[in-house]
Amino acid sequence: MSDIVKIKGLKSGLQLSFATGASFDDVKANLLDKLQSGNNFFIRGTTVFVQKGYFTEEQNEVLRRMFHRHGMLFSTELKRPNLTSPSSEPAKKEPEPIRKMMTINRTVRGGEEIRTQASILIVGNVNPGARIIADGSIDIRGTCRGYVHAGASGDTSAVVVADRLMPVQIRIADVIARSPDEPETAEFAERASIKDGQIFIEPVKR
Amino acid sequence: MSKIIVITSGKGGVGKTTTTANVGVGLAMRGNRVVLIDTDTGLRNLDLLLGLENRIMYDLIDVTSGRVPYKKALVRHKKYESLFLLPTSQIKDKSAVNPEDLVKLCNEMNSEYDYIIIDCPAGIEQGFKTAIAAAECAIVVTTPEISAVRDADKIIGELARADKNNIKLVVNRIRPQLVEKGDMLDMGDIDEILSINCIGQVPDDEAVVMATNRGEPVITMNGSPAGQAYKNIVGRICGEDIPFLKPPKEGFFAKLKKLFGLL
Repeated sequence: MSDIVKIKGLKSGLQLSFATGASFDDVKANLLDKLQSGNNFFIRGTTVFVQKGYFTEEQNEVLRRMFHRHGMLFSTELKRPNLTSPSSEPAKKEPEPIRKMMTINRTVRGGEEIRTQASILIVGNVNPGARIIADGSIDIRGTCRGYVHAGASGDTSAVVVADRLMPVQIRIADVIARSPDEPETAEFAERASIKDGQIFIEPVKR
Repeated sequence: MSKIIVITSGKGGVGKTTTTANVGVGLAMRGNRVVLIDTDTGLRNLDLLLGLENRIMYDLIDVTSGRVPYKKALVRHKKYESLFLLPTSQIKDKSAVNPEDLVKLCNEMNSEYDYIIIDCPAGIEQGFKTAIAAAECAIVVTTPEISAVRDADKIIGELARADKNNIKLVVNRIRPQLVEKGDMLDMGDIDEILSINCIGQVPDDEAVVMATNRGEPVITMNGSPAGQAYKNIVGRICGEDIPFLKPPKEGFFAKLKKLFGLL
């Protein structure tokens, strides 16, 4: 009798298959037996899969209720992420690692936000009130007076370079520095990077 | 073919309506046929500055809703025969006119006038979007204060996003003494941030307040520095190459005079 229901362990839960010729009532009785016997396969919170179309909708509903009573989920949609359409997976991932440089050849004005997963080159000014957020580094060929965040997804090696670096706030990865309360005029190009867990600003030659 | 100019600023109270009235009168003084459209529905002022409030019969809403043809709503200026005002409603709000209505109206007016000047409400919401819809050229008015410059910057960005790339700047209410002392943004600071072509630097002038209250734009008053600055703006709109008045220098000389006076 124990062969009426076969249980197969999967990453995402348990898959049930049934002996050929076994009626729904047999299956149900067998499962109930297993559930009540405290079989350690059926842990609360486990998802149980039954192939779609094997039983009728009503019968599935009966099973669903039965599993619910024992704290388990019942599904006819088998999710196997490691096996589903291997061709579509790499295609989806492909654009991400290509870190193309984004370039902007104009002034970025107050109220604008530019977000990129790459590094960014801005030929123009970044005005107060503008936000530049890049996963890579930020290079501004002009005056930076806005808010800049380099390495936004956690890259602590990212840098911010500007001809005149006077932003309201600089963030690199999760380190934050704000401008001094007494406004200063930057006279040469500067680079901000993380050193010893703090944002460090030094002059650079261009 | 008329030239459609919108006068805008973002921040309120920097002198959009004053600039509209003065530029309108200035262009009319040169013999151009000019229509001024007030789009600041609910807070209309342009009629007051021109002294035309008592002549209003219909308004912009009557025209866009098709109740009257636009010609019936136009108010002719009492002194300058080629200047017309299309006032807006004081009762309705900004949602009463939509961008398409204004574009349609300007297309209708196109052949009849040399200049259509649109006075934009403050803000960047519906009213602003309506006002700029028909314009081919924008004049951004600001004052030498960081808040006004910040808002002007935002407005220039919004205009660029709406594909309006012919943008000119007017800096209003400059106080030469403060600029001289370094307590006010100077033209260099403003240029550095906004980086658009400046066509006017208007000094702060008491005559503007008097003119506003009298309903006669300051441009008609001889000997007023602000009036002269507006005349120059009008000249530059007409394509003339006029050098800027040098307000900071005046301050410098005044300072020298004071210094000699003290000695």
